[in-house]
Amino acid sequence: MTATLALPLLLASGKAAEMSEAAPPSDEELVAGSLAGDDESFAELVRRHKRRVFGMAARFARNEHQLEDIAQEVFVRVFKNLKNFRHDAPFEHWLARVSASACYDFLRRERRHRDDAALDAVEFELSDASVENAIQAGRAREVLAWAMRHLRPEEQLILTLCEIEERSVREVMDLTGWSESNVKVRAFRARAALKRILEDHAES
Amino acid sequence: MPNPEETLDRLLRAARVQTPDTARYEFAFETRVLARLREERGTSVFAWAWKLAPFFAAVVAAVGLWNRATAENLNVTAGLVAEAVRQHPERLILSLTAREP
Repeated sequence: MTATLALPLLLASGKAAEMSEAAPPSDEELVAGSLAGDDESFAELVRRHKRRVFGMAARFARNEHQLEDIAQEVFVRVFKNLKNFRHDAPFEHWLARVSASACYDFLRRERRHRDDAALDAVEFELSDASVENAIQAGRAREVLAWAMRHLRPEEQLILTLCEIEERSVREVMDLTGWSESNVKVRAFRARAALKRILEDHAES
Repeated sequence: MPNPEETLDRLLRAARVQTPDTARYEFAFETRVLARLREERGTSVFAWAWKLAPFFAAVVAAVGLWNRATAENLNVTAGLVAEAVRQHPERLILSLTAREP
């Protein structure tokens, strides 16, 4: 009887020990490792979170070079500011804030470059198709990207966060550091501006 | 003519569903990030060196000026000593022997 009870217990404890040995390090442990100068810990952090960062960056980038630039910028900022990471919230929340900030800075840089070049230089041309046709043809992202390029950086950011990623006002406040009223007003104005652009296009 | 509000909603809904596939751009991304960080660490040493360059230039200039002033002072002193030796050589011998421990 004792033997029959002891065997599963032994197996279970062995398995638990094995599992705890094999358990992957937490984000916080990897952060501590990175701060101690272990590059492999930071590489693991990047490996673990790159999908999420690429997902957000892809909402703003127009080509693969910009995508790579934004994603790299996020992780370089993370690395440089790791010592400022307070462990009172999960690492991925902090990472999301850094990502939003990097995307916003990218949009502002883009805006400056675009002011030098004419808007006619945009790759996508809508002159040949209505918005409705484009949506039906599965080109909604292209249409939206084209329309977004006429908006201000903060309008692009808030529309992407609120309307495309469907984040709550509270989440957007956390990500951007803007006040609640600011988020609401900007979201409302951005939506109105986008609608105006589509209307103007429909009329022309 | 379609309602613009509805068109906008449809556009946003369709864009929401079309999640971009970034898998092929993520390949070996961590290697590229680490390479960039190493590169930035390397260049930051040079950046510091450049920032400190004016300080070192000021130090070199100060040392040069101090050297020049000291040399001029020495020339004056040496001239005076030579003159004194020519006029009273015995005093020099006495002063040198008096300083001997």
